[in-house]
Amino acid sequence: MNFQRLFDLAKAKGVEAIQIYLKDSQSLELDVFKGDLDKHQMSSTQELTITGIYQGKMGKLKTEAISESHVEMWVEEIIKSASLIESQDEVFIFGGSESYETVDGLLNEDLENQDVKTIMDNTYALEQKVREMDERIDISTAMYRQTRTRVRLQNSQGLTLEKDANSAAYIAQAVARADGDSRTHYEYVQSNVPADFDLDMIAKNAVEKSVSQLGAKPIKSGPYEILLENDASASLLAAYASMFSAESVQKGMSKLINKIGETIASDAITLVDDPFRKASPKSGSFDDEGVATKHKNMILDGKLTGYLHNLKTAKKADTTSTGNGFGGGVAPTNFYIKPGTTTREDAIKNMEKGLIITELAGTHSGTNPISADFSLQASGYYVEAGKIVKPIALITVAGNYLELLQNVTDVLDDLKFGFSFIGSPSLKIKSLDVSGE
Amino acid sequence: MLDKQLLERILNTALESSADFAEVFVEDKAQSTVMLQSNTIEQAINNHTQGIGVRIAKGYQSVYGYTNSKNHEDMLALARDLAKSFPGERARGEVTLGTMKQGKAHQIKRMPDSVDMKEKVAIVKRANEAARAYSDEIKQVSVSYMDYVQNVWIASSENIYVSDQRVRTRLGIHSVASDGKDMQSGFNGPGGHYGFEFYDTFSVEEAAKEASRVAVTMLHAEECPSGLMPVVIDNGFGGVIFHEACGHSLEATSVAKNASVFSGKKGEQIANPIVTAIDDGTIENAWGSANYDDEGREQTRRVLIKDGVLNTYMIDHLNGRRMDEQSTGSGRRESYKFAPTSRMSNTYIDNGDSTFDEIIAATKYGLYAKKMGGGSVQPATGDFNFAVMEGYMIRDGKIAEPVKGATLIGSGKDALKKIDMVGNNLLRAQGMCGSLSGSIPTDVGQPTVRVSSMTVGGRKGGNA
Repeated sequence: MNFQRLFDLAKAKGVEAIQIYLKDSQSLELDVFKGDLDKHQMSSTQELTITGIYQGKMGKLKTEAISESHVEMWVEEIIKSASLIESQDEVFIFGGSESYETVDGLLNEDLENQDVKTIMDNTYALEQKVREMDERIDISTAMYRQTRTRVRLQNSQGLTLEKDANSAAYIAQAVARADGDSRTHYEYVQSNVPADFDLDMIAKNAVEKSVSQLGAKPIKSGPYEILLENDASASLLAAYASMFSAESVQKGMSKLINKIGETIASDAITLVDDPFRKASPKSGSFDDEGVATKHKNMILDGKLTGYLHNLKTAKKADTTSTGNGFGGGVAPTNFYIKPGTTTREDAIKNMEKGLIITELAGTHSGTNPISADFSLQASGYYVEAGKIVKPIALITVAGNYLELLQNVTDVLDDLKFGFSFIGSPSLKIKSLDVSGE
Repeated sequence: MLDKQLLERILNTALESSADFAEVFVEDKAQSTVMLQSNTIEQAINNHTQGIGVRIAKGYQSVYGYTNSKNHEDMLALARDLAKSFPGERARGEVTLGTMKQGKAHQIKRMPDSVDMKEKVAIVKRANEAARAYSDEIKQVSVSYMDYVQNVWIASSENIYVSDQRVRTRLGIHSVASDGKDMQSGFNGPGGHYGFEFYDTFSVEEAAKEASRVAVTMLHAEECPSGLMPVVIDNGFGGVIFHEACGHSLEATSVAKNASVFSGKKGEQIANPIVTAIDDGTIENAWGSANYDDEGREQTRRVLIKDGVLNTYMIDHLNGRRMDEQSTGSGRRESYKFAPTSRMSNTYIDNGDSTFDEIIAATKYGLYAKKMGGGSVQPATGDFNFAVMEGYMIRDGKIAEPVKGATLIGSGKDALKKIDMVGNNLLRAQGMCGSLSGSIPTDVGQPTVRVSSMTVGGRKGGNA
């Protein structure tokens, strides 16, 4: 639809500035379970978010009932919503940055042009590989997810920006069963480049990581040297990403308050927010407020360099937005710890007595984003004299995330991203408290 | 809503190939939220969603699609696209819908859309003031107010044609206490299948104070010791233990695929005989209640475990096909953007015989988990974890010092057998449960129970 009538009417009613954010999404989801197609889902939706400044306050609404006939009602709702706001924070509808980076490859036509039959065959093949690789595999599932999202941001300050991106993932889940014990592992690759999907590798990892956990038991409580694997480390970083948001800092909800320029992590740690990373739908040249994005080292060699800002937090802190105004607040783009050079083999070889933590569960409940304390269910392997001795499960590891970052002794070369595009290589940590037997 | 003729056309288009089941789910939902932080109203947003989901199946296999296009041709095109997944001759005759049935229970006295936003803002401010007044150590309070009216129309080739209105209201209070060095938080989030009359059923001030009380108590708590010990889990949100440890594993979603530790265990003793557990979607005006499930079947009361014996699973229509059992009215979904699957509604452990005092007195040393946080479970293994929001040590049969940072972990099938005392003070509390078919409102609940031995993870070394 044409939004000019909305802009005109808003102006006539005293709305000082108005912006629309229109999102068109299409998705395809397939699950193959034990040789059968178990889920096949397709969708097409449109969502509209309208923000408008009325008497210095920001009104907002979201709707899926998108029609010109609702324009009057929308303007009324924006005025009503704005009239309730008491916050004295200055609000903005942005006229545009000086320049925007060109980000190539957000939309890969090769992915878009694949036919459903090929994708379905691949998903069947992935499930079959998992099922047939080891006789202890009891349940095997392969999944495919594909999305395409088109975004249009347009406002009464004359700014119009568009983004069109796609992404897909193949996921394998293996459940291994033997002697009354069950262990499971999910493995996936996410990209928009069809050639990146190495189905053999996905199947192999899903099977090996579930089978090798069979018979896992708790271990004696106490402090252990830890090799925190990439997946586990990324899930922990995701739980604490909000600490780096200026919004959390300004509300007194982050322990990183007043820490800019200080050493908050081991000098082996560099933390990056990269909006230009290849094959990620989180990449883009502008944020939801229309501000140009940029590459930043949030932690450089252990030192905190700054926080993530949107227009509002930047104004409060007398600085400029970092282009992280997402979802009405502040959020990272592709957020990850920069990989080092140590290989996994070498990292295990010089472990005297320690644990490899492959998975952390309950990161949504067992982490305190304010105090940075955590206590989480974990599983992995026990290592002695440089060798993996046995699988470990039903233990908890406890600590404080900022202390953990300071106790990193080595950063491995195996950077991996989670589904939320927060990534990490495996980290070697001096010690964490483990509770088991 | 869509008229009957259009619904019939969509169903019949979806059935034009060899599918043997078709269903249309139409949703219109208006939600309003108000957020307060740092003593000021920061956001007031209305969110209007509407769309349709179409599902067709042949045997165990199903295809789902959704769209929020208002164009009837787009809806029919979606049905036609889905039908392509099951090539072959038409398997079912023409579907005609009867008279639409409409849910009558869980009546609402003050519809949220008839209440001025200023009244909602006033509730938020009362909560904020009460939470802050509790103590000087409360440094930050955020309050969220939410209500929604969700209208759904469900029609399927199983002779189903119903409509239901779900009206839900919830207030969330999050208090942060700090002494300049440490920060601890507390949360309380009462909710129900109510309109604005919900605020006549409890004290907003007391609910707010409760969040602050937890934050301040935990600010003065020591780190929790770790190791194996008896754990007394209090009533109300403590029921999250059953929800995570057992409830998810009793859903047909995992049971039907033999992916649950409780698959094939019907009629077997899976818990201590003092344990009876129920999932009841009919409790009047409860947070997880509705007239119909999201497949259009009447909500029911399901006795999951009777005196320790597994009595029934929670089953949706399609997983029921796989299990050769009838639906128990457990098909639920967050919105039209999700295909339904078997989910919990209001799930709780029923009352036992012990009093709270008896349970504490019978415990020489252990952890008293007064308030639980969230948790998760891996249904394939039954391993679960959950966070303790407010905990105390029990020493010599008495509640002793408060402890923070504890996580409880275990395996569902073991934990059920290790419940060795069940109290008589059943209480339910509200939560949001996330799973395959999205995030849905569910009540958890239980009386105070004791688990004879559990792994407690804390930051203060082992075996204190």
